[in-house]
Formats: sequence, C-alpha cells, structure tokens
Amino acid sequence: MAQDEPTSAALSVRAVSKTFVTKPVLRGIDLVVPAGEAVCLCGINGAGKSTLLRVIAGLLRPDSGSIAIQGYEVRREPEKSRRQLGMISHAGMAYPELTVSENLAFAARLYGVPRRAERIEELLAGTGLTSYRYDRAEILSRGLQQRLAIARALLHRPAVLLADEPFTGLDAAATQDVCTIFDRFARDGGTILMTTHDLRLGLQCCRRVAVLDQGVLILDASKDRIDTRRFLDDYLSYARTMS
Amino acid sequence: MRRLLLALAFLLLIASTLIGLTRGQIDPLQRNILYVHVPNSVCALLCFVVVLVTSVGYLATGKQTWDLAATAAAEAGFVFATILNATGMIFSRAEWNVWWTPSPRLVTSAILWFLYAVYLILRVSLPGAQRRAARLCAVFGIVAFLDVPLVYISARFIPDIHRPNFSFDSTWQTAALMLGMAGTILLAAGLIWLRTSLLRDTLKLEQELLR
Amino acid sequence: MWLGLRAILIKDIVVELRARQALPTMVVLGMLIVFILRIASESAAAGGGAPVMGAAALWIAFLFSGLLAQERSFAAEQHNGCMDGLLLAPLDAGTIYLAKLLANIILLTIFEAVVVPLVLIAFHLHVAGWGRLVTVLLLGNLGISSVGTLFSAAVQLTRTRGALLSIVVLVLLMPMMIPASFALLVLFGALPERMVGSGSFAFVGSFPAAVAYMLAFDAVFTVASWLLFGVVVEE
Repeated sequence: MAQDEPTSAALSVRAVSKTFVTKPVLRGIDLVVPAGEAVCLCGINGAGKSTLLRVIAGLLRPDSGSIAIQGYEVRREPEKSRRQLGMISHAGMAYPELTVSENLAFAARLYGVPRRAERIEELLAGTGLTSYRYDRAEILSRGLQQRLAIARALLHRPAVLLADEPFTGLDAAATQDVCTIFDRFARDGGTILMTTHDLRLGLQCCRRVAVLDQGVLILDASKDRIDTRRFLDDYLSYARTMS
Repeated sequence: MRRLLLALAFLLLIASTLIGLTRGQIDPLQRNILYVHVPNSVCALLCFVVVLVTSVGYLATGKQTWDLAATAAAEAGFVFATILNATGMIFSRAEWNVWWTPSPRLVTSAILWFLYAVYLILRVSLPGAQRRAARLCAVFGIVAFLDVPLVYISARFIPDIHRPNFSFDSTWQTAALMLGMAGTILLAAGLIWLRTSLLRDTLKLEQELLR
Repeated sequence: MWLGLRAILIKDIVVELRARQALPTMVVLGMLIVFILRIASESAAAGGGAPVMGAAALWIAFLFSGLLAQERSFAAEQHNGCMDGLLLAPLDAGTIYLAKLLANIILLTIFEAVVVPLVLIAFHLHVAGWGRLVTVLLLGNLGISSVGTLFSAAVQLTRTRGALLSIVVLVLLMPMMIPASFALLVLFGALPERMVGSGSFAFVGSFPAAVAYMLAFDAVFTVASWLLFGVVVEE
C-alpha cells in the first residue's frame, strides 16, 4: 500500500513523552513493531498503557516524540495513518440505537470501504455475528459487543490493530474466540499491539511482550527468549506489591 | 518595574480626580462620572483585544504564558466592564431617572460584561487536562472577539435615546479626561502583568508541591 | 425525619458551593434570559402587544430547544466512546462539524415547522410575506446551530454541561437576536419596513439590513466554528 514510502516497521514509536497537567504518564517510549508481529503491552493499572495506545492512535497529542504507522507520521499525515489503523478501545464505539450491520455500514462509509456489503458479510461471518446482524447493539451481550468492536476495527483492512484490554469482561470461550481472530489477523500480515493487565492471556496470543511501568518500558522481549514461567511469577508478585 | 507602573497609574488617576473635582468640573454634577466611565469603557475593550491576541498566541504556540495572560486580561476586563456598567447605570439614573434601558451603548456595554463573565465561568468549569481547558477558552476568546464588532453593529437596530451633548469648554476638562485615560490604561497593563506572573507562580508552586 | 431533611439540605448546599461554577452559571443564565427578552422585545420602539410577545417567544423557544438538541448531539457520541470512533476515521474535524451542524439544523427546522404556526395562531399574528419569514427563520436557525454545535462539543466533559452551554451560546447569539427580532416585528406588521433614526449610533432600522446582518453573522460564525472545531475536540 505504502509503495511510495517503503518502511520496514509497521509501527514505530520514537521517544514519546506525555504529561497530564503535572504528572508524567509516558517517559521516552521507544517501540518498533515489524509487520506481522503481535506485541502484548503489560503493566498494572495506571502504568500508561491506555495513554500510549491513545497517543499512537492520534487521539492524544504527545508532548514530544514521533509516531509512524506504515511509514506515515501520525501528526503530519493524519488521514493516511488513520486509514492504516484499527482500534478496539474499552468502549465499543457502537451506537446502541443502530443494529449490528448498520453500525458496520456506518463505519464502512466513514472509511470509504470498497464493496461495502460484501466486506460486512465477510466480517460478520469471521466474528460469528451473522445471526445477530439485525439486533440493536444495545441488546448484545458483552462478548458479542466485543466481537462487533473487532469487526468494526478490522473493516477497512488496517495494517495495524490497537487493542486496549480486549479480554476484559469476556468468559473463557469468548476470550479464545478473540484470540483466534487475532491470530488469523496476524497470520495475514497484520500487526497487533494489545494492552492487558493479565499477563497470562497476553502471553497466550502474542509472541512478544513489553512491560510498561510508571511510563517507562522496563522490558521488551520476544516470548521464547524469556523463561515464561519464572517471568510470570515475578510479574505477578511485582503486580501484587504495587497494587 | 511593575510597581513603578502601578504607582504611576495611581498618580495619574489621583491627578485626574483632583482636576476633575476642581477646575475641570462639569455641570451638572453627575456628568463628572465620565472621568471614570470613559477610560473604563476604553479599557474594557482594550482587554478584549488582549484576550484575542493572547488566545491566538496560545493556539499558535501552545505556550502556557499566553494562556495565563489571556486569563489575566479577561479578569481585568471583567473588572473594567463591571465599573463601566456600574458608573453608566448611576449616571443614567441621575440623568434620565432610569437605571437601565435598551439603548445601543447600554446594550453593548452589558453584552461586553456578559462575555467576560461567561469567559471566566467557562474557565473554572472546564475540568481535567489543563491544555484542553486552555484551548477551549482560547476558542471562546476568539469567537467572543468576533462577537464584539457584531455587537456594535447590532446595536444600530435600536434607536438611541437622547444623549447629553458633552462638549469640553476648558482645557482642564480635557486634561482630566486624558490623565484618567492614561492612568486607567496603565492600570490595566499593570494588572494584567501582575496577574499573569501571579498565576505563573501559583502554577509553579503547585507543581513543586505535587512532585 | 428532621435529621434526614437537615442532612440532605446541608449536603446539597455544601456540594453546590464546592462546585464553584454551578451557582455563577445559574445566576448568569438567569440574567441572560431576562436581558435577551428585554432587548428582543424592544429592538425598536414597537410598543408592546402580540407581535412583540410572539417574536420574543419564537426566538426564546428556538434558542432553548436548539440548545437541547445540540447538547444531545454530542452527548450521544460521548457514550460508548463513539466520539473516538469518529476521530479515528480518516476525516478532518471540519467534516465532523459540518455533518453535526446539518443534523442540528434539520432537527431545529422540524421544530420550527411545528412551533411557528403555533405562535402565529396563539398570538393572532399575520405574516407579511411567507418567503421572507422562512428566510429569517432559517438564518436564525443557522446562527443558533453553528455556535451551539461548536460549543456543545466543548462542554461535554463539564459538570454543568447544559447550563454552561446555554450561557456560552446565549451570550454569543445576543447580537443576532436584536436584528432577528427586528425582522420578525417587521413581518408581523408591528414595525414599518424602514425606519429613520439619528444619533451617533446611526439607526439602521430596515428589513433588508436586518437580513444582511443575520447573513453576515451566520457566515462569520459558521466559518469560525468550522475552522476551530478541530481544536475543540482534540484532547
């Protein structure tokens, strides 16, 4: 897609800092994610995970540093970079008064998705929402709402998917389904950056782990280079002492 | 420097008052309020220009000082607009026996006061991230300034009541007004300056305490 | 019972006083309403009577129902993170503003279609020129909606949302209300098409001048809001 600007990394975050009033939330974050990789961003509540995601998405302006998605600088070329980006946030971004397929059709129009009806069909099938298509978003269960949010985020074939706590409020089966959808997306060359406070789940579907603590990335490693069991134990005891 | 400015402003205002009460007296008595009223109306408008310039400055640069100066100018402008309306009402009551009536000048002065009042309320109502609040206030400052010329044009749809014809017949009177004008403008500049640095110091102190 | 009553009363007063902005907002809102009614009912020496009451009633009704619609239009986006969804889309903020503005104009037009006949019937008013009435109403509609849409996005996260939006919009719209009620008074036959005046503020009492003024007001505020909207929605 970005043939005019060849880049190796799908997502690159360089020296990003952000302060809320007087409290520094992000301090010099560097993170480069090549295409097709899934990264799990862990950290306790208030570590700055959501802030980092919102800064990457362009919803928050960083105080310093730069972010590029598929080589497009988020601040300089907002429309091109947003086209490459899908996001799942805490809230589903769905209008409760509209039905599932109406919500998707609205999002598809916002992004100018070609052959809209077919693409929506494809996603309804992919997320298992086909039989709920005529239901209003307000009556969906938490798990179904999350699937709708995923369908909405993937509708315009983004290169990078940001997911903020995608497993919150989901039962084991729904979590597994979401993991499967993410896996499929990554296998097709998609890049994922997800946050979670539950490291166990994060390790399940990502190959790379980054830990954010008080606005600083204290660890960024591939899963097979760390001793998963020991790391988990350390992390859990650390999280307990912090909270 | 700031102290010098404010001291000079007070000296000029005292001189203006003394001359106004002695050699420069206007007949009848109530019209002498013009020595306060006119300089305050000029300053109320000048502060609006400062709010506009600082608001644009803030949106363009994102520097906090601009935002603080805008707040200071709005606060000073609110004071001047309050004095403007209060003295105007006192005069109106003495001259025409009504406190207020919709005449163009009275309407425009009142709207000016409302614009400042709403600006200051907006300032304390906006929560959360300070930069967002500052940006919203800057937007209101700019839009409110666009409103000011419209206010003056719109007032032309109201027929004016008879206005007393002031004509100065002595240089003392002109001198009193000019001194008052200079004094009030210096006072405005001093107040905005003082308040801006006070706001900056307060903010710094808060940051120190939070650290 | 007395204990509970006292507890709730004291709690309410303390909470109101802690939210420093609430009381001044209400006070200024009240003052603005009185003030607008006063200048709208005497934008020209039309005396009193049904036309003056009708014109004032119309504009006050439009202002407040417009404000309610506008407040809702962004409250709906705030819910469920929908606003983020819009900001994430590859659109510039001006497009979001224009879409919202058009939606608010349409809602207010529907409202006008119902309320205007009601006012005409209730106040026994005869209209000189329906086309001109529609023009004046639409210009007023655009003015109310342009300012309201911009600032309803701004006040969403405040505690006093609706009241704050009201004072912001009312104070900015006040200058338009003067020629707007003047124009209605001409159409309701309470004022002649053209009036002559004197004084240092030359009196511009003519219907075309009032329409031209409203047009200028709409143009200035729509363009300014469209340009500044991005600044308002960005966090």
